[in-house]
Amino acid sequence: MDNHEPARTSEMIRAVPAALDEYRCPLCGACFATRAELARHYEGEHPGVVAPVVVALMLNGESRQVLIEPHWTLQRALQFRLGLSGTKHMCDRGACGSCTVILGGRPVLACTTLAIECEGMEVQTIEGVAADLRWKPLVDAYCRWDAMQCGYCTPGFLMAAKALLDRNPHPTEEECRAALAGNICICGTYPRHATAILEAAMLMGGEGAIPVSEDGGGADA
Amino acid sequence: MPDYDGVNGLREEFRVVGSRNLPGRLSQALATGVAKFGLDYVMPGMLHAKFLRSPYANARVVSVDATAARALPGVVEIITWEDEEIRALGSRGERFGTSKPWLDNIADREGVEVAVIAVAESEDICEEALRALVVKWEVLPHVTDLIKGSREGAPVIRPEESTPPSFGRPGTVNNDFPKKGNVYHVELISGDIVEGFTAADHIVEYDMYTPAFAAHLPNPSGSIAWWSKDPYQGDGPNLHIEGAVREKHAISVMYGLPDEKTIQEGLFMGGKYCDWGLRKSQEITPLLAKRTGRPVRCVNTREEMYDFLMNERYLHLKVGFMNDGLITAVEDISVADHGSRGSSSFGNVGDLTQGPFNTMKCKNVAQRMDVVDSNRGIMYVSGQHCPFNWDSLTLGIHLIAEKLDMDPIDVAKVNLHGPASQDDPNPVPSFERCIEAGKKLMDWDWHKAGVKVLPDGRMHGMSFRYQMCPRHSGVVYKCKLEYRDGVVHMPTQGPLFGAYVVEANAMVVAEELGLRYEEVSIDYDYREPFRAFGGGSDGTTASAWAMKECANLLKRQILEAAIDYAENPPQPAMFGPPPAEPGPFKGLKPEDLDLVGSKVVIKAEPDKGVPLSQASGKNLFATYTGRPPLSVWSTGPMGKVLDVMNAAFCEVAVDTDTGEVEILRFGAVADPGLVLRPISLESQIDQVMYFSQGCQLLEDFIYDERTGVRLNNNMLDYKKPGMLDAAPVEREFIETRGSNAVYGASGISHSLANTHLVIIAIQNAIGAWVDPPATPDKVLRALGKA
Ligand code: FES
Ligand code: FES
Repeated sequence: MDNHEPARTSEMIRAVPAALDEYRCPLCGACFATRAELARHYEGEHPGVVAPVVVALMLNGESRQVLIEPHWTLQRALQFRLGLSGTKHMCDRGACGSCTVILGGRPVLACTTLAIECEGMEVQTIEGVAADLRWKPLVDAYCRWDAMQCGYCTPGFLMAAKALLDRNPHPTEEECRAALAGNICICGTYPRHATAILEAAMLMGGEGAIPVSEDGGGADA
Repeated sequence: MPDYDGVNGLREEFRVVGSRNLPGRLSQALATGVAKFGLDYVMPGMLHAKFLRSPYANARVVSVDATAARALPGVVEIITWEDEEIRALGSRGERFGTSKPWLDNIADREGVEVAVIAVAESEDICEEALRALVVKWEVLPHVTDLIKGSREGAPVIRPEESTPPSFGRPGTVNNDFPKKGNVYHVELISGDIVEGFTAADHIVEYDMYTPAFAAHLPNPSGSIAWWSKDPYQGDGPNLHIEGAVREKHAISVMYGLPDEKTIQEGLFMGGKYCDWGLRKSQEITPLLAKRTGRPVRCVNTREEMYDFLMNERYLHLKVGFMNDGLITAVEDISVADHGSRGSSSFGNVGDLTQGPFNTMKCKNVAQRMDVVDSNRGIMYVSGQHCPFNWDSLTLGIHLIAEKLDMDPIDVAKVNLHGPASQDDPNPVPSFERCIEAGKKLMDWDWHKAGVKVLPDGRMHGMSFRYQMCPRHSGVVYKCKLEYRDGVVHMPTQGPLFGAYVVEANAMVVAEELGLRYEEVSIDYDYREPFRAFGGGSDGTTASAWAMKECANLLKRQILEAAIDYAENPPQPAMFGPPPAEPGPFKGLKPEDLDLVGSKVVIKAEPDKGVPLSQASGKNLFATYTGRPPLSVWSTGPMGKVLDVMNAAFCEVAVDTDTGEVEILRFGAVADPGLVLRPISLESQIDQVMYFSQGCQLLEDFIYDERTGVRLNNNMLDYKKPGMLDAAPVEREFIETRGSNAVYGASGISHSLANTHLVIIAIQNAIGAWVDPPATPDKVLRALGKA
């Protein structure tokens, strides 16, 4: 690892429009200043309906209170309440890996994880990884190797790659491919991911510069 | 090289073009999730909208009672097709077929938007409202089986439509047959096939099947829109819409707005590979936002994105040929899907005019096609396959090879005409080089079917195919470059759709201006006219030709300004830093100077000069509007004249006990004229091979015949290859510089995508034909084991 201080993610999260934090009734759209007022509104206007709840998350190292409906997935909570657009949503049923986040240290699919079940847990999203300079070599390697075309699946792949490097800082090419086996890229960028991860692992492990091939570029895929 | 019209088309030295590992300018945004696609946008206080979707393959909504739906808390509007504003809507995006209302009460495929839009506080409430509707349906007979639908007595699903499908130049296909039931008959006949078959030493016939497969856009389509008043934008309301990237103009026209009143800042449209069709979810939000006074978001689910099909096709192929492999006649009789209302006929009738047979010496060709109205799905332009019926000829070549025990490459060589015309006996240089390189790449040693056993007991199969690199871009590009405060800027509206089109343009600008790639500032701005596409790689090389011209116009201005600066140096101002020292250019002419190594230098004394950033205190800009000479493909011959080509190869191993097929490797040798950005080309080839693998081994739509309902509209049941499935792709590039665009480069389009290369390799392995997708059960059945 290099000597950079990990960047704080709070700025990125605070960039969310403040109004996403408002207490809006999901049933009728009425807006309230506090959660207690919203709860009273439910009792009066929508008796018998389960009111929104607040879930506490340790999101990218910051403590966050998030107002959600109890049936919301973590993906929906991240997008709709926190305005985080990096946890993508391709298949909506656990088949593509685009929504991968790291929950309590393990990669999980945010489209099939209920937000309410994450109470008190550490959630790492791509925004957190991107803001942490220790992981810059991984992001840079993905860019250098065009390990993306349209880029829609890419944050999910990066999260799976990050989870791999967390548990295995020196993976083999086969291990890279196995770790990403649950991610689908419709644009077919598969051959370039392992190259990018191996390059990043090498740089992050302090093993020197990227080998340069004759044409002035990096090692071939 | 056909670039004589342009500047520096014959350039020999390249510093930037052809370099590897120059990152995409927006790659950081994509990788880190900062890039927002339509469905990623959320706005405070936004509403949501959802369409009623048909549960039937063919039906009519007779009536809708929305009383209960409207009464649900959180429902804001229930709008039906009879609403006046809905009736006034008309799509301005790409559309085909007979014109139809934007939304009506006719559902001609399962899952299509029909009759009702629900607007509510959340998507959940929209869905609840749609469930609460009391809809009276008239269920009509459907056609999802093309063969049954083309028979006499089959229920006629669109009796009101009789305009024959057409694509391409009018008059090239004979459409002059009255529609019978669901079937339009079209023909394209050249020469005399009776004579050709009579002259043949051998005749082979084969029934070939191409299943439908999904376009499958990575990001489900959708948009969010809101209206605002902003004095900076002039009088009247402004429409903000995100999620209809590239289609700002279509949305402006749809809502009667001048372009400058439609604001769309998003750049990211997701993987768009010829499916340019606008979905209703991308078009409706402006109307709903206006009616409700709030931002409205409307997004498709993944299920709803299985709307677009590649055409299913049945084909009977008859080929006559001589003992040396020379084809004397071809008859190609097919039944192809015409899809639901609004489908393009690019993939059926369009195929006939653009097909592979134009590349043969033989002129006796009859193509006859039944195009069948169906309730299977909509087809926009094309998608993730080669947009031509190329594999009918590929298959014909392999049938000849089998019959004559002759290498299919040699069969292809015997039949391919020369570069100038169908009568030209000369070899095509690009083809010859691709073949030579391909043979080496693959250690090509062709064998007959069913004879080669691998050490692990599996059967080995191999296949080959050639294609032209067809290019179609005829777009006129409006380029602008600025030299501002010492920096060269390339403004563009994007968009970003899965190809690094803007980056390749910046590389060419850097090349021409003696800069490093990183020194060209790409300024994304939705108001700028420059768009680098018009086809993927095809548009990239064409736009880069125009940008090259623009760069040279700017270069001239910079050199003139540098001399002017030297002759009229500015006086130091009272405030601010002293002006930069001018270059030693007094008394020189622009011809005496050059841009080299990020400097303006004297040609004769290249170590004398000044950094470009200090060459002049002026701001300069150059514009160029134009396009390169058209490619030979798009000037009409469609393969009757040949320039740049490519060849693809496949090797498989088939386990005859389990029926499992492993693609050992694909090989691709492509001549794109010149490679601008190598990783882009590699990715493009990987991608088409991945598409090809998917449609030959995994992908197929399964319909319930009784109801016409598709059973696998999700990513678990409709399989795409994953990381561990994707076959290795070995590639090699040839640079003959024989094409029409920048420096003799061209695009290759998706010409390497194929529907039967793997299937042919399987036949070569086991000696039996398997229809795609070649799943293990089908392979075992073909072997008589299941
Ligand atoms: S969106 Fe979560 S796995 Fe596909
Ligand atoms: S880059 Fe487009 S889906 Fe992976």
